[in-house]
Parts: sequence; structure tokens; C-alpha cells
Amino acid sequence: MKLRRDHVAGGFFVIAGAAILAISSDLPFGTLASPGAGMLPMLLLGLLMVLGAVLFVHAGESPPLAAIDWSDIRHALPVIVVACVAAAAYTALGFLAAMSLMLFFLVFVVERRPLLPAIAFSIGATVLAYAVFAVLLKSPLPRGILGF
Amino acid sequence: MDRREFVAGSAATAAALAAGPVWAQEVYPSRPVTFINPFPPGGAADVVARPLAAVLEPIVKQPIVIETKAGAAGQVGAQFGAAAKSDGYTLLMHIVSISGFAEVDRLYGRPVKFTNDDFIPIARFIADPMVIVVNDQQPFKTLKEFTDAAKAKPNDLIFSSSGLHGALHLPMALFLKAAGLELKHLPTNGGGPALTALLGNNAQALCSSIAAANVHLRSGKLRALACFGAQRSPALPDVPTMKELGYDIEFYLWVGLFAPKGTPDNVITVMRQASKQAAADAKFAQAMKNLGQDVAYLDQPEFKTFWDADAKRVQDAVRAIGKI
Amino acid sequence: MDIFDNLLLGFSVAFRPDVLAYGFIGCLVGTLVGMLPGIGPLAGISILLPITFGLDATKAIVMLAGIYYGSQYGGSTTSILMRIPGEAASVMTCIDGHAMARKGRAGAALAIAAVGSFIAGTFGVIMLTLVAPPLATFALRFGPPEYTALLVLGLVFLAYMSATSLVRTMIMACTGLLLGCIGIDVMTGHFRYAFDIKELGDGIGIVPVAVGLFGLGEILSTPSKTVTDKVKPPRFRELMPSRQEWQESAKPIARGSVLGFLVGIVPGSAHIIASFLSYAVEKRVSKRPEEFGKGAVAGVAGPESANNAASTGAFVPMLALGLPTGPVTAVLMAALLIHGVPPGPQLVNDHPQVFWGFIASMYVGNLMLLALNLPLVGLFVRILQIPYAYLYPLIIMFCIVGVYLVNNSIVDVWIMLIMGVVGYLLRKLDFDPAPLVLGLVIAPTLELSLRQSLIMSSGNWTIFFTRPIAAALLAICGVLLVLSVLSWLSRKDWREKLAETEAGEK
Repeated sequence: MKLRRDHVAGGFFVIAGAAILAISSDLPFGTLASPGAGMLPMLLLGLLMVLGAVLFVHAGESPPLAAIDWSDIRHALPVIVVACVAAAAYTALGFLAAMSLMLFFLVFVVERRPLLPAIAFSIGATVLAYAVFAVLLKSPLPRGILGF
Repeated sequence: MDRREFVAGSAATAAALAAGPVWAQEVYPSRPVTFINPFPPGGAADVVARPLAAVLEPIVKQPIVIETKAGAAGQVGAQFGAAAKSDGYTLLMHIVSISGFAEVDRLYGRPVKFTNDDFIPIARFIADPMVIVVNDQQPFKTLKEFTDAAKAKPNDLIFSSSGLHGALHLPMALFLKAAGLELKHLPTNGGGPALTALLGNNAQALCSSIAAANVHLRSGKLRALACFGAQRSPALPDVPTMKELGYDIEFYLWVGLFAPKGTPDNVITVMRQASKQAAADAKFAQAMKNLGQDVAYLDQPEFKTFWDADAKRVQDAVRAIGKI
Repeated sequence: MDIFDNLLLGFSVAFRPDVLAYGFIGCLVGTLVGMLPGIGPLAGISILLPITFGLDATKAIVMLAGIYYGSQYGGSTTSILMRIPGEAASVMTCIDGHAMARKGRAGAALAIAAVGSFIAGTFGVIMLTLVAPPLATFALRFGPPEYTALLVLGLVFLAYMSATSLVRTMIMACTGLLLGCIGIDVMTGHFRYAFDIKELGDGIGIVPVAVGLFGLGEILSTPSKTVTDKVKPPRFRELMPSRQEWQESAKPIARGSVLGFLVGIVPGSAHIIASFLSYAVEKRVSKRPEEFGKGAVAGVAGPESANNAASTGAFVPMLALGLPTGPVTAVLMAALLIHGVPPGPQLVNDHPQVFWGFIASMYVGNLMLLALNLPLVGLFVRILQIPYAYLYPLIIMFCIVGVYLVNNSIVDVWIMLIMGVVGYLLRKLDFDPAPLVLGLVIAPTLELSLRQSLIMSSGNWTIFFTRPIAAALLAICGVLLVLSVLSWLSRKDWREKLAETEAGEK
């Protein structure tokens, strides 16, 4: 049997449904007159597993797994890693530092744009955004250990 | 505050932000002060915090920023308030339900995240007695008629609330326990939906703040049976208190300002004085009056006494509800 | 006094220069907060609320309401240009609006969104003028069983619309509903799937999920080398929709307006449900449903009109009954209360100046928003001329800032990032994330109203069939289900019809 796209998709939802069901045992189903915290989740998990199984059974109609184009992972991976690092540094470094560093990394390192425009862009854009959010809209943005 | 003042306020924010961190010992407050609002915008703490901030800003000469940290019926905001740096720049606006969280955690055997000892009370601004209301499709004119009907058919009448252990659930639990009644509980996700359920006769009774129910009381859609105050409310002079009717229950929807434990005394003193001045401001009084309540300001010592007694009531109510 | 005298009174208030000015400020701020992701009408109104304390009630409500309906206009802009829902209700606009932008029709999409919003907004105000009190009384009859039926109808509609990939759609909807179960159970206090993360106590927010799935997911699956940076500045004529595009959007705008208004008046419903239903209807009645998702004009016109009409419809229960239908109207109500104008049945009699001035200002405000937004189309489209290598980092920054600002919570940012990866993977497996967002939105209300109904009836399921409105809604569900089973049995769905016509043309 050739592994097809919906084998993976359907299989995932069946397994995920079962796994979540396993950790939901502490949630009481309750009775009809006083439904418990677990009623809706369990009904939904059951439905999800059935639907996943249907998808799995009909997987023959879907394209083979190997046909999926993964070429964009070379773009997606660095971008998400940089974004995650920026999010981790967001409250510690503060908005201005974390966001201008993120912009700089994405433009200069990931996208290999010229250095000077990259610096100007990353600082200019963050300062402008800061002006709009923090000053004009009076919404507090995190200030970092450096005090800005 | 008019537009010019707003622009000036924004400029002050910008200047304060540009000035950067304050290393030296300076006069408090020397930069914007944040009030945590633990409920969604428009909630009980927010509608007090915003007018208060408007009158406080010219007094402390710093912007007051209101930061919404809603979640878990006010628990998330309270926890942030308890964990905030105790430098007086992050204060918490909270309501009566602040005393219930620790008791709920104990009841369910969960680790207690914070207790009332984690906060220093600064001031109480309003305290609106709760009132028990029924809709106009019900025949009850007095509390006695209501309790008789509820006793005749246990678990038939339904009361709505703002959610489990919410500020509208706790007083009803105290009353049901005192009167020995059994009613079905219809929890909703806020004060508005709880009122909607009552008006649509999907629930028959509700404990509401007078402010929220007043419009409907005047239009005749709702009837007030009893009030939870120590004395009759000036807004509802014909409604008897629970005490008059023989139930020893008091319950208020109050809003107060808190600082995290460990905040220096001089900082607390500054905020106490500023709060006193703000609470006496006519603009603040007018805003509260429009909301349907009077400023019920209490300075720290009296607020502390009140809060200790109030916490006992809230804990009793949580235990009366019990584990569900 | 009849309606014309009343409106005359209203316009005499609304056209006072100072009221006009505050209305304009409100519309302007609304457009801005609508465009910026994260900062929505809720935050915008709360921020400007203290400024209104010095004003009289009319000016205050005119300005604050302007923020609210103005944000519905602004929300479409970021959705179309960057595929970030600037505001939760704009999720549906992301799909076809952004697809149109990629085909070089960003200007047309923005213009249609603005005009559709204008027509729907004005229609909503007309309805508000004419029928607010009786409609409000009707809306009050929506108790828990009726909500349950309405939401079930929404889900059945979802299934009906996507008869060709029913399983995939329902899997997404189920996943969304499950995500919506995360957090404290309001009825029993149980922490569900929260793993002791206190920020999850209130559940997963809609904004982080929508921004992650749509905005970040799109960026992750669009490598920079696939994007041509050579976007020519469009000529003004190309900015405007063609005659054909206008024709294609006329009926969706009309349907979206009516549908949106009806959904809007139901207390507790979200605008996203209105735009979602409108999208489903348009896809179903379209002669070329295969174009949906690839830049169908109707997929922009319908939902954009629907969410604007819904935002106006939400004023019906607020003004007529004094009941907020959602968080935004709750803040507006608080604002009115602070100004000593309690909304409710007495509002029209006690404060006719405020009531009719407010209504009239909405006619004026919608005109202002149209005048504000149409000329800006040319400016906004230029954003697309920023080279992609600079544009997408900027979008990521706005995603992070916007999501953070909703609750000042870094956990929300992490949810957004995770959802970005999920969106990327779902795309690989050919799942459409829109039903997931819908499921997430309706999950709390569906669960609450279902359980409330059962409590009310002491566990008796017949409560859904003995109450007339609920029974009627469930009857419609039944008809739709039968229809979709019939069409499935006859195997004559549109894909095959399409294949047949194509075969015939050859």
C-alpha cells in the first residue's frame, strides 16, 4: 500500500483524538440533567476520531504523500525560528529592542538584503510602530531591562 | 478631560518614556502608573477605574494607564497584581470576588495561588448593595411569596448568575443557605447575559447590583424583593433589607484599589492621599452617580476592617456553594 | 411625533459642527484600530473613553460608536493586503480578498469592501430607525435552547456549504470546537486542558488563532523568491472595480446586509458568525463556486457587508432593551451610563436628542467612512509595492505586537506562533482553516447554551422541539441535511456539473 496524504491526516486526527481522550479522564461527563465539564469535549473527540477514520479509509483518492511540495521549508524554518526567538526576548528586551533585532535578522540575515537599508528599515519601522501604539493609542508596550 | 489635556497627557507619556529608567531615589510617582483591570473592558472594575484615572492624573501629575488582564473571572488579573513589582507602579483594581479565589482553590484541593495577605488595601471607592430581583412574568411581590413558592417546589425555580463563584452567585448562595431553599443554578458568562436570561424568563431570579438592575426596575420589567445592604438603599427606598426580613446577610459589590505586598509605606501614603482627593472630586462623584451609585470611599484602615469582614462573607458563600 | 420628525431632530443634532467633528474623530480612530491587528474596537473605545468624560453624552456616544462601526471598515484593509485579520470578523475577507490582491485586484477588493460596508451600514441604520423596538423584544425570546439551535444551524450550514469535502470541513470545525473547550469551565470550575498555564484559564483567544493561521501561516508558506517584486503602480482606473465586478458584488452585498443585520440583533452572537454565514451562502448560490478561495468578488462583498450590518444590528438590543450583545456594546453601554444616559426602553422618551442624534450620526458616519476609505485605497495599495523581503518581517512584527496587546499576554503570542506552524501544516494537508476559527468562536456559547438548556429542562431533550423558535431553526437544519443527502445521492454536485460543461465545450 502506498502512503497517501489522507492516511497521514486521518491517522493524525484519530491518534490525537485518542491521546486527548486519554488525558481527559478527570473531566466528569455528568448526567443529562446536569451536564459535566467533560460532556462536550468527549462528544467532540468521538466525532473527531470517526471523521479521521473516514478520511483514512478514503485516503486512496488523495495524492501520494511524496507529492507534497516541501520546498518552502527553507523559508518557513528560519522565519519561524527568528520569530520565536523574538517572542522569547519580547518582554525581557522590550518592544523596541526585540522587534528591531527581529526585523534586522529577517531582512539582513535571512533575506540577505544590504546592511545599511536593513538597519535603517528595522529601526525606522519599530520607532514608527512604537509611536502609533504607545503614544497615539496609549497602549502599553513592554519595556525591557534596558528601560525602553 | 478635554482634548487638549489628552494631547498634553500623551506628550507627558512620551516625555516620561523618553526619560527612560529612574535609577535615583525620586518622588513617587515619577513615571506612568499602571492600574490592572482584571475584567473585560466595561466591567465592574473598569467603569470605576477609568473615571478615577481621569481625576487622578492631574493629582499625581503622571498618566494612569489601565491595563486589562482579564481571565478566569478576575483571577488572572489578581494574580498579576499580586506578583507585580512592589514599587507602586503597578496597582490592582478589584471587586468583592477577590476574596473568594483562595477559598475555591482550597475547596478543590488545588495549590492556593494568592491570598488576601498578598495585597495591601489602599482605598475603597464604591460599594453597591446587591438586590434580589424577579421578572414581571412571576407573581412574587415579596420575598416571603418567593421563598414559599421555592419551598413548595424545590429545584423548580431557576436563578441566573454571572458564572460560578461570581459576584452575582455568592450573595444568592448565602441567601439560599440562610432560607434553606433549593433552586436550579443557570450560570452565564457575565452580568449582562445573566440579566438577559432573567428578562427573557429563562431564569426567574437573580442577585444583581442596583446599578445594573435599576433601568429595568423603573420600567417595571423587574421587581426587587430584598436588598443586601445594612440599611435601605436611597435608590430603592421601598425595598426592605435582608436584615429587616430576618436574614442576617449583607453583601456589596464594591471596588477597591490594592498594591502588592511589600510596597513601601511612603508610596502607599502618596496613593492614599491621591485617592482621597480623587474620591472627593465632583467629576468622579458625577460619573459614579450616573452609573447609579454613590461614592462610598473608605481610607485604608476602615477599608481593611471592612475587607476582613467581607472576606469572611465571601468564604462562607464559597463553602455554601460547595464542590460542584 | 412620527419617524420623520424624529429623524429631523436627529439630523439637526448630528449636523452640529462639533458633533460632526467628534463623529469624524471616532470614524478615523475606528478605521485605524480596525486596520491594526490586535487593537480592535474594544481597545479603541476603552482608550478614548476617559477623553469623553468632559463631553456631553451625545458627542461621546457619537464618537465612541464611530470607533465601533469604523473598525469594521478598517478591518478589511489588512485582511486584503496582508491576509492578517485586522479584526476577528474579517477572517472571511482574508480568503478571497487577499487572493484578489495577489491577482492585482487589491484596489477593486478594497473599494468593494468599502462600498459594501457603506450599503450594509446604511441599511442597518434604516432598519434600526424603523423596527428597533419590536425586533428587540423578539431577540429577547432567544434563550439557551434557541442559541443552541441557531449554532447547530450554523454548523449544519457549514456542512451543507462544503458538501464536496464534508469530512475535512467537519474535522476542522471539530478541532476548533475542541480548542474552544480549553480553559475554566464556567459551570463547574474545572480547568480543562490548561496544564496549569493561568493565561489559558479564559480559553484560547480568537485573535491569536486567526492571526496565526491566516497571517503567519501565509507568510511561512510564501518564500520570498516566489514573489515578484515588480509591482507596477496601478493607474487610478485599475484601482476601481470593473463593471463586471460591480455586477457580481451587488447581490452578495444585499444578501450580506440582511443576513448580517439579523445575526447582529441576536444577543451574544459575534460578527464573525454573520460574515461566515454570508460566505457560506454566497459560495452555495454562486454559479461558479470553484472560484471561491481564488479571488471571488462575492467572497469579499458578502462577508464584508454582513459584518458591518451585524455591528449596526448589535445596537438594537443595546438601545431598545439596555442589554449588551457583546463586549463592545458592553463598553458603549458603560460609556452611556457614565454619562447619565441609561440605555433601555426609556431611552427614546427620556433622551430623544441623544437617541435620534446618535441614529442620525450613523447615517452621516457611514458617509464619512466611505469618503475616508475610498480615497485611501490608492494609498493602501502602495503598501504592496514594499518589496516582499521587507514587507513580511513587518507583517510578523504587527502580528506579534497586535496579538500581545489584546490581553498584554506573551502566552497569546506563543499561541499565535504555534498556530502559524499549524496553519502551514494544514495547508500542506489541504485543510481549510476557516471552519476551525468558526468552531473556536462558537464553542463557548454552544457548550454553555446546550448545558443551560439541559439544566432548564432537567435533562429533557424535547426542550429543543417544544419552543417554537428553536423548533423552527432545527427544522431548517433538517431540511438542509435532507437536501445535502439528496444531492450526495444524485451525485450531481457542482464539481461534476463543471466537469460536464467542460467536457461539452471541448
